[in-house]
Amino acid sequence: MADHNDPNSVNSIFSDIDVSAADLYDIFGFPSDDASGGEKVVIALTFASVPEAGVFDQDMLYRILIAPDRRIVRPGKEDHSLAGLLTYLDGVKNKYLSTLKPSEVRVTIDRDNRAHIRFFNFPGGAFSAVVDANQSVTLQSPGGHAIKAFIGGRDDAFFNDLPGFFRSINYAPQFYHVPHSREDVRELKIPKTLLELEGNDLFNYDPNLPEWGYSLKKDLPQGPLTWSGDRFKKDENGNFRFVYSGEDARAGQNCNAIILELPLAFLTDAPNDHRIVNTWGESWVLKAANKIETIPDDPFWIEHPHVLIDAWTLDDELKKYKLVDTDGQAFADAALSEREDNRQMGANNFWLAPHFVKRLGHLGWGFGPSISALGLASAFDHDNSSVSVHRTYSWVAEAFPRVKKVLFQELNMPDESWNKKGLPIPLRRPIDIFIPNVNSIDMDTTGTWPFGRRLEDQVATRFLSMFLDMTAMLNGKKYHIELLNDPALWNSAPIVPKTPPNPVANDKAFLPVFPYLAEPW
Amino acid sequence: MKSLAGYVAEIARIEQDIADIGEAALSVPEDTERLTKYVYRRYQKAAISGDLRALAGVEALIDRAIPLLANPGDLYLLKANLAFKFHRLADVGAALASVEAMYDSRECRMIRADLDFQHGRYEEAKRAYCDVLDAEQTWDGLARLAHFNFKMGDAEGADRLYAEAEDLLTAKQMRSYAWLEVQRGLLDFMQGRYDQARDHYDHAEAAYPGYWLVGEHVAELLGAQGRHGEAAAILERVAAAVDRPDLEQALGELYDLKGDAEIAHFWKQKALAAYLQSAQDGHVHFYHHLADYYVDVAEDGAEAVKWARMDLGLRENFSTQSALAWALHRDGKMSEALCWIDRALSSGAVEAKLFFQAGAIYMASGDEAGGRTLAERARSLNPTVDHFHIHH
Repeated sequence: MADHNDPNSVNSIFSDIDVSAADLYDIFGFPSDDASGGEKVVIALTFASVPEAGVFDQDMLYRILIAPDRRIVRPGKEDHSLAGLLTYLDGVKNKYLSTLKPSEVRVTIDRDNRAHIRFFNFPGGAFSAVVDANQSVTLQSPGGHAIKAFIGGRDDAFFNDLPGFFRSINYAPQFYHVPHSREDVRELKIPKTLLELEGNDLFNYDPNLPEWGYSLKKDLPQGPLTWSGDRFKKDENGNFRFVYSGEDARAGQNCNAIILELPLAFLTDAPNDHRIVNTWGESWVLKAANKIETIPDDPFWIEHPHVLIDAWTLDDELKKYKLVDTDGQAFADAALSEREDNRQMGANNFWLAPHFVKRLGHLGWGFGPSISALGLASAFDHDNSSVSVHRTYSWVAEAFPRVKKVLFQELNMPDESWNKKGLPIPLRRPIDIFIPNVNSIDMDTTGTWPFGRRLEDQVATRFLSMFLDMTAMLNGKKYHIELLNDPALWNSAPIVPKTPPNPVANDKAFLPVFPYLAEPW
Repeated sequence: MKSLAGYVAEIARIEQDIADIGEAALSVPEDTERLTKYVYRRYQKAAISGDLRALAGVEALIDRAIPLLANPGDLYLLKANLAFKFHRLADVGAALASVEAMYDSRECRMIRADLDFQHGRYEEAKRAYCDVLDAEQTWDGLARLAHFNFKMGDAEGADRLYAEAEDLLTAKQMRSYAWLEVQRGLLDFMQGRYDQARDHYDHAEAAYPGYWLVGEHVAELLGAQGRHGEAAAILERVAAAVDRPDLEQALGELYDLKGDAEIAHFWKQKALAAYLQSAQDGHVHFYHHLADYYVDVAEDGAEAVKWARMDLGLRENFSTQSALAWALHRDGKMSEALCWIDRALSSGAVEAKLFFQAGAIYMASGDEAGGRTLAERARSLNPTVDHFHIHH
């Protein structure tokens, strides 16, 4: 028997993989304000700056998928039943798998840190170029379209109180040393909440340890990792304690980025009809077998197509890589999927739709009562619970009635500035936004979220707004996606600290011209 | 085929990590992750370099570190892995049981399945591997199932699983890829397919240059091909870098085959002394090597039986059963040898060496027809079953 050669000796207890260049951060997308030479769309895919800002990992391959389409015309009388939802999802699935044939921008980096950028399947032509990293360049397509490209290091454009978000979902690894082998104690079984829970010592802010959850972790305590209270915490003045601080956890940090400014006429033959530019990003890492330029004689994916849903569409180059991460819609993975689970689904996340409904139900029982406690109206049906509840669902049918309004309500915009042409563009709803997991840029809007994603959008706070009841009014105005980002709201609310959940602006000013993202630190 | 930064670079990186963190991590345990990383890096260095003495040192380090941590689950897992390497299976179970909360984690379930396999509970082992893989496909899980399948006679299926495991690995995991290539090469070697084995070993070397594990297997292959001098030269280099008496024994056997009796004697005596010293120090992981040594090298049946029984006392499976049978056969105790080899054969294991030894025992017991059938089966699995091999 192979005593020293058995699989037990493979040393797999801990991952040897450090922070990875495959970790995608965000995909931004909006119509360019520069209309000279025709309409253009800006797309920026950002990811971890590994090995460092402006220097790229040669084992990586990045894809930006682009699928222009018509704006969906919603039927006059929609079916908002569970059956209707499933029919809708089926339609979306068929569209993405068979109707839309996304074009692609593919980027790899060579040993000299030069970017190889290739454009596949675009109506405006297919071509490639080799460009220096960290330089803005203008490329000419075969059809004469000028495409701006920047591939290099930038200031991370995401501004967000990430520890606050983790506190809201009781995500232990942000606050505690959680053993690698304890996957069962990541999101603890404590109600999700926007307001601290009375007696939730596992996560409540500790004034003696202000850095806890930011730069300091504690040892995970022994004993039950649960909460048994029955109310939100209030201080001696009757104020709730916000789980958010409003501080920017990404301040002073960089990313690597692929930033493009593409003429709409290059992306589609019908720019007047195709007013929506759907886009998402993917990171792929070279497979070990291909690192030594040896392709297995019998690649197993041929025999096991379930491993990659779209394996049959992979070209020879992609077969040498492994899909690691996808990014389309902000918070689609972080909040609405089980964390660290199936991040590769990307635009194909309709496979996870039942889970999405259950997860939304779970979050709703946490955030809904928090919103109500602040005197705001929630779209989530939490039976007027006075405090957040930890509840999970095994069945979609059970969760659906609770989340139905959240899913199908239109998210009001704060004013009409988003609709720059004043066209009859329907407001977007969470169901439209998160499935499929793509960034759908409406070229007739400013591209502010959810009609795309502009750099200055505070998407983390806008995400929370979908739990508000958008039919409710405050000060004579309907609730809208910027309501929770309004400092005045918090100044008058019984809460400390008096701050919007997340920072209202990036730590470094964005540039008015291409490549738009600020210089790296 | 281009060459990549490999074993030496990785060991240097680990050593740098160890130096950067420093032993102070144990004296001021304010940072749990720092301490855990330090211990793990020490373990990793010892394990990757095959340094059993260093591994024993790491065990003491783990024992020092555990009381310093509020949640030492990961270190108990490390302790379990380490005990496994040293064949102290009872200690493996004890380490896993120390942290109830992680008992059903993926890692623990895999090690428990390994324990089942070592204790001859084959169905339980296979079921556990499959259950864990159903929940999550991991390369090490697939490798474990591949190893199991090969031992149970499905070499083709085993190779397919190893290939699947490789497909899960990225360019950031070249050592693991090389390890899998070595296993695939070993599959071919144990079926007498030397050219295919060499291809896999070459891939492993290209993927992760300088890995002693590859050198060890290339030397074994060359030895089996009758290229004893080349094999010995490689193995001497490996043995100089890796303090392993089983490799010294292999060197002794190679020099015997080469006709250099004096050098052979030197290496064999060196190996034996190290085995015995290890046993005298209370370690059990060389019991099976001692049984092999006495039965095949020293041809001392009584001593072989003694060590084989001790090894079987730790873990009763087809391998330890057949080792005891082989030792009893050497000792002339044919009736008992027959009894143990039948137990090994009834396990369901399908291995050329097992059938080869069973055939010899049957014939020596007077069952010529049965013995011939078993020997033929052994040769059908591996036409070169009686060629040189290392007692891994």
